[in-house]
Amino acid sequence: MTALAELVRRRPPEADPTRKLRVRNVAIAVGLAGVALVTVALVGNILVASGDAAADNLFWTFGLSITGFGTVKLGIALVLTGIIVRLWMRVDAVRAALPRLKADAEPQGDVQYGNIETPYGKGTLTEKAPGLLPPQAMARIMWKPMIVMGPMLVLLGLVLSLATTGADDPDTSQALWAWTQGTLFLGEAMLLSGISFLLGTILAGLREGGGEVQESLGLVVKTLRMPTSAKVFLVFMFTGLMLGIAQFVLYGIAAYVDDPATWFAWLGPLRELSLGILLSGIVLALFTIGTVLGFQHWRIRQIIETGR
Amino acid sequence: MATALARADFKVETSTRSLGYNLPQRMGRLLWFPMFLMALMFFGAGMALGIARANEISDGGAADTIVTLQHVQAGLMFLGFVSVFSAVSFAIARILGQFRAGGGEVQAAAGRTVQTLKMPGTAKVFLMLMLVAMMTIVVASILHFVFAADIENTPASLADAEDRFVVLEGVRRIGTAIFLFAILLGLATIIRVLRFQAVRMRELPDEATTH
Repeated sequence: MTALAELVRRRPPEADPTRKLRVRNVAIAVGLAGVALVTVALVGNILVASGDAAADNLFWTFGLSITGFGTVKLGIALVLTGIIVRLWMRVDAVRAALPRLKADAEPQGDVQYGNIETPYGKGTLTEKAPGLLPPQAMARIMWKPMIVMGPMLVLLGLVLSLATTGADDPDTSQALWAWTQGTLFLGEAMLLSGISFLLGTILAGLREGGGEVQESLGLVVKTLRMPTSAKVFLVFMFTGLMLGIAQFVLYGIAAYVDDPATWFAWLGPLRELSLGILLSGIVLALFTIGTVLGFQHWRIRQIIETGR
Repeated sequence: MATALARADFKVETSTRSLGYNLPQRMGRLLWFPMFLMALMFFGAGMALGIARANEISDGGAADTIVTLQHVQAGLMFLGFVSVFSAVSFAIARILGQFRAGGGEVQAAAGRTVQTLKMPGTAKVFLMLMLVAMMTIVVASILHFVFAADIENTPASLADAEDRFVVLEGVRRIGTAIFLFAILLGLATIIRVLRFQAVRMRELPDEATTH
């Protein structure tokens, strides 16, 4: 956990921005390893379909495929930690450059603090940098346990899938297969939640860094209010994670029912729906980041041109 | 008009104004939302068919109906995934567009030469892999529908349908893995763009104004 926290530690302001981050190349290598795992599973599927391998091999090919997806998602999480580090280096660069770039202007006399309109939506005008929003503070804490637990569950699911392949007793096989699916997809849901929390951490950094730069210049602080897309992102994220946990519990029940085929028929789409909803939330988080970046560039331009 | 500039650390184009968004970024700004909506629709339809198939199994329905539903449901669900992955990719392109257009506007506002990063290699591979993965999953999903229409209630047809499902499952998964890797490369491009912005921002105060 400490090692993970170290990944996103803010570098000192004098840190050399030209230095490349090693985490980027590591993340690409991890992603490639994930694609390789899924390729091996594809070969297994083709062998089963052509009759060159027994049907029970499909259990481990399933486990290996989902482990491959989890590996690529872990790579994505690593890239996001690199983005967080780079964002802070950008904040330090803007903070260092703006005092020499901004127009000279007399201090503003009568400032009306409160709500404002910006080209990127509603914002606030304050004297000091506003603190983090509660979901952003939570995101900064929660991404770490999610990124640790997700891969652990996926690996456990892979082991269960291998055990299912070798199981002879039908009851044991049914139970192991149910737990395999539930565990793998709970791990995937946690990984996607970790990625969502990392995106929330990026939004936190943008808010905090933007406020810090404006305050350091002695200017009024303009901050974008939480956009609707960010609110809907939170709803999607929590719904997706809850469904991910629910499918795990339901697979636990399906492990011991008399008609597992019926249960598996609707639990399959349910587990995919949980990941689909989490991914939809990620789309909205990325959209929000784009909006906030647009606002930040607009505000930097305004400071350069008007000095206020 | 933009001209190429040789820098030791980055490949850039120079101009007096922001170069704005490039074609993939304009597409990203336009298409992320339709893709997002389509994903939600396909996920809902896939879930509904999953429930319908479970009812068929529970009621002892015909084997060909159950296998047909399996193919159609998987096809719909993965059209949902291809839509949501596309939406993620377009949202990343939109972010890269904000850096390109916004970064240029900031340099122009400061009266300095506008330097814009040329499309990095990771961004080019991101676009290429995104298209490959999209085609792989879409073709696999369409084949699910084609094979579903071909199923009869005979042991041979049902066995064929089962084998086809197993192969298409593998193909869909490799398409998904490639799409996820493309997204990783898109995000890795953001790291490079952020590095360029931090370096460029620190250079600006010491440069002479040009306009």
